[in-house]
Amino acid sequence: MKKNVSRKQFLHQMALLSGGAAWGMGSVTGKAYAQVPASMASMVAGAQPGKALVIIQLSGGNDGLNTVIPAEDDQYFIKRPDIGIKKDAAIPLKNGMYLNPAMLGIKKMYDQGKVSVLQNIGYSNPNRSHFRATDIWNTGSNANIVWDEGWAGRYLSIKYPQYPMNLPTHPMAIQLGSVESLLFQSDLGRFGTVFEDPNLFYQLVNGSTADSDMPPATLAGDELGFLKQIATSSIQYSKVIQECAAKGKIGYTYPSSNLARQLQIVSKLISGGIQTPIFLTTIGGFDTHSNQLTQHANLWKTISEAVTAFQTDLENMNLADSVSVVTFSEFGRTVKQNGTLGTDHGTAAPMFVIGKTVRGGLIGENPNLKILDANGDLKFNYDYRQVYSTIIRDHLGVDAVKTQQIFNQAFERLPIYQNSPDQLPEFTSLELVTSVPNPVIDFALIQYSVFEKMQIKLAVYDLQGQEIQEIYQGNREVGSYQITADLARISSGFYIISLSGPNGQRQSRRMIKQ
Amino acid sequence: MPVWNSSNMSHLLSRSLFGFSKSDLTMALGYGTFADFIDKALLKDAAMPAAPNAWVNTVPNNIQNTDGSTGRWYNEMTAWWYTRMVNESLSMREKMVLFFHNHFANERAKVNYPQNMYAQNQLFRKYAFGNFKQLVKDVSKDPAMLIYLDGNNSRGVNPNENYSRELMELFTMGIGNYTETDVKQAAKVLSGYIVSGLTSTFVPARWYTEANVTVLGKTAKFDINTLVDHIFDQKATAQFICRKLYQEFVYYKPDEVFITKMATVFRANNFEMKPVLKFLFTSDDFYKKEIIGSKIKSPTQLLVGSAKLLQVKTPDLNNFYELARTLQMQLFQPPNVAGWPGQREWISSTTYSYRGGFTDSLLSGKRYNGVAVTSKLVPIAYARTFSTSEKAIEFVDEIIGLALRFPLSDTRRKFLLDTLLDGTIAANWNTYTANSDARVNKFLKALMRLPEYQLC
Repeated sequence: MKKNVSRKQFLHQMALLSGGAAWGMGSVTGKAYAQVPASMASMVAGAQPGKALVIIQLSGGNDGLNTVIPAEDDQYFIKRPDIGIKKDAAIPLKNGMYLNPAMLGIKKMYDQGKVSVLQNIGYSNPNRSHFRATDIWNTGSNANIVWDEGWAGRYLSIKYPQYPMNLPTHPMAIQLGSVESLLFQSDLGRFGTVFEDPNLFYQLVNGSTADSDMPPATLAGDELGFLKQIATSSIQYSKVIQECAAKGKIGYTYPSSNLARQLQIVSKLISGGIQTPIFLTTIGGFDTHSNQLTQHANLWKTISEAVTAFQTDLENMNLADSVSVVTFSEFGRTVKQNGTLGTDHGTAAPMFVIGKTVRGGLIGENPNLKILDANGDLKFNYDYRQVYSTIIRDHLGVDAVKTQQIFNQAFERLPIYQNSPDQLPEFTSLELVTSVPNPVIDFALIQYSVFEKMQIKLAVYDLQGQEIQEIYQGNREVGSYQITADLARISSGFYIISLSGPNGQRQSRRMIKQ
Repeated sequence: MPVWNSSNMSHLLSRSLFGFSKSDLTMALGYGTFADFIDKALLKDAAMPAAPNAWVNTVPNNIQNTDGSTGRWYNEMTAWWYTRMVNESLSMREKMVLFFHNHFANERAKVNYPQNMYAQNQLFRKYAFGNFKQLVKDVSKDPAMLIYLDGNNSRGVNPNENYSRELMELFTMGIGNYTETDVKQAAKVLSGYIVSGLTSTFVPARWYTEANVTVLGKTAKFDINTLVDHIFDQKATAQFICRKLYQEFVYYKPDEVFITKMATVFRANNFEMKPVLKFLFTSDDFYKKEIIGSKIKSPTQLLVGSAKLLQVKTPDLNNFYELARTLQMQLFQPPNVAGWPGQREWISSTTYSYRGGFTDSLLSGKRYNGVAVTSKLVPIAYARTFSTSEKAIEFVDEIIGLALRFPLSDTRRKFLLDTLLDGTIAANWNTYTANSDARVNKFLKALMRLPEYQLC
């Protein structure tokens, strides 16, 4: 409660300072990033303006095994005698894996190297409730912790440190739909602007007013503050959205599905110059408990066609380099079919990351249908936050330390993008992230991460491999670290900074000393 | 015991009903005590309403899906339910029917036949003030529920887990109080039903053949009755239901200490609804100052409550229907099996804007898109139902007191008064001057466009 009050006082002060543009938000819990010192907040995130991430949420729990199909695995047909998709009917990828026959468009993009298929993505102790599992994916928490902020909300609070004291000119996040996802919520307020149609949205908001009176510090006052915040951001953003939509172009004809319509709006806004880093689109109907074959195929046909149109549209307008699409669903489904020709709630499943800047291909081992969990379902191979961490760093351009703050944990990246590490995590388990400035005059700020507890050594070597200066040696817990090294004493020239572990792991970066 | 006064009564009415008019409030205050009001009005038993039409008893047939009848009947039933709500007077029954519809959330998108959904809606009405445990037993065999959560055709060998999981997760105990094994074992017990037409039938040959199963630590040859009894013996169940009642009627963040007291009452009265509701509405906790005005109205509350407040007796139900969809609360179509989450989840940039469009339509007679609304406010006649109508300051205060539970700041109060006066001074106001109807309209529009109006 104490925290609550001080937070309110803080916001109150800010409201006075900024002429009343801010209102106290609801209950506030302490969060790691809230403690980021101001000096760091200034060098934050979002280094590459104009990058956009488009998330497609598959609501209901997508059946991964009938999406990316192990059609050469006998176990698959033993467990799914009636709903297994035979290899002759499916679209071959590689390593014995096939795509659902409805995914022709995605296959075409896969062949062009624009699709990274990530196999067996999940997390420990997976939850099978639609609602809890969706919350876990949206917040980025472990299964055993309840967080009330979305991971995108935390990313955005790093990218827009002035919010909610000041509203940025452009929407910070856009969701096509009506009910704002937890993904965009944070203790500081809601980052998302939610609408279905840019023009209608503008028309409706037109005429609304919002006063800047400070609501009282009561339970009801918190709710009023929340309503006022929504009113204010609607008034501000409906105009920007309408203008960008009016300026935007369409470079391709979309199919007529609801998802395609959502993606078309996203594309139009981007081509109209909107500076929004995250978009959320949704497609429902994946809870295929019965007679799933046709329904599931139709859903993927819809996605495949919509995403193909979106990608083509962006490429035709030369915007494809800055946009990346990712799919997620709250869980995969049971390995075994049930008695009503469907599947029940399961565990790990594949994800797709699509765009011009991805590395492309099938990433990770095939699902193991013999070694299953206690309920007879898939074990995950990579944590879903490894995917998100990779996207946040390699696509949205956030550094390792900030990314760790978002998830309160460091996750090793996967080889998703062309600028992602090219090896799967098993082989490295440490990472030398950056050393700035480069060239260095005296002090270098070095970021590195270790992904299992180990003895590490961080040192500067000359080009012959001779150690020049040790920076750190000792045991490190899992995490991302930042260290300032005084390199004033070494002479001008070319050097290597190297981070090494006990089993030959090593990552190095070139450094110039002025 | 809470103090018997108009503001406490207004709080009780705004939470337990969809809304209230000036005469509703006057009538309620005539009862003299909360106990009397609750027993003789709020929770009073009433006869079941007549069906919307004869189709409710016709055997479901696929033809109705192709010739457009299904959609038409669903709309008819929705209008029928809205009519029940608008005419609820001082009875909480329809509010409880909606509570149960949200608790046992079934979607018309999957329950194809409105006949089944109608039967379920009447089941909720039958148990609105009845025994919750028995309701769970009946719901477990309810055709709409069997269709919605795949109990239909689920067999003991390889049963469908869908209903079993939601029974434990959403309808009784809540997540964390059962294991995956419990879900799988209970699924066997719940199997064996098929839906044909208007009824469901238990087919013994489709049931589980094991001598017994173990659910929640007890091994027995469970059937639906004994399984539900066993679930209700778990301490979590009463707590879970009372938490949901608390979050619906008091505040969205649960107060576990008070909820435990509610659960004790609920258990002691064998899961009857009336005693626990009466306990809630006569406790000081319900009337705490910080609770008042802290609930964000659901779209249904906004639609029906605004009509009640403005005494629009036969509102345009097509307008209701369309707006409810836009505001994300289409009746018979909750977003998923967990129902509508409520409170802040109702509000996004888009739904907030549409709410203003709706209240405007009751005054302007036009929807946001220009379509005419069949029934709108007659401003002067409405104003004159208030004895203060010729005194601007008192009139504004009286309407604010009736319409808003959130304490309005003096600046907002002045803003509303200025809107009514429209440039003149208070002494010059009366309802007989030119343009007074337009001014009343403008004043009410501004009042209902305040964010405070979204709270109750």
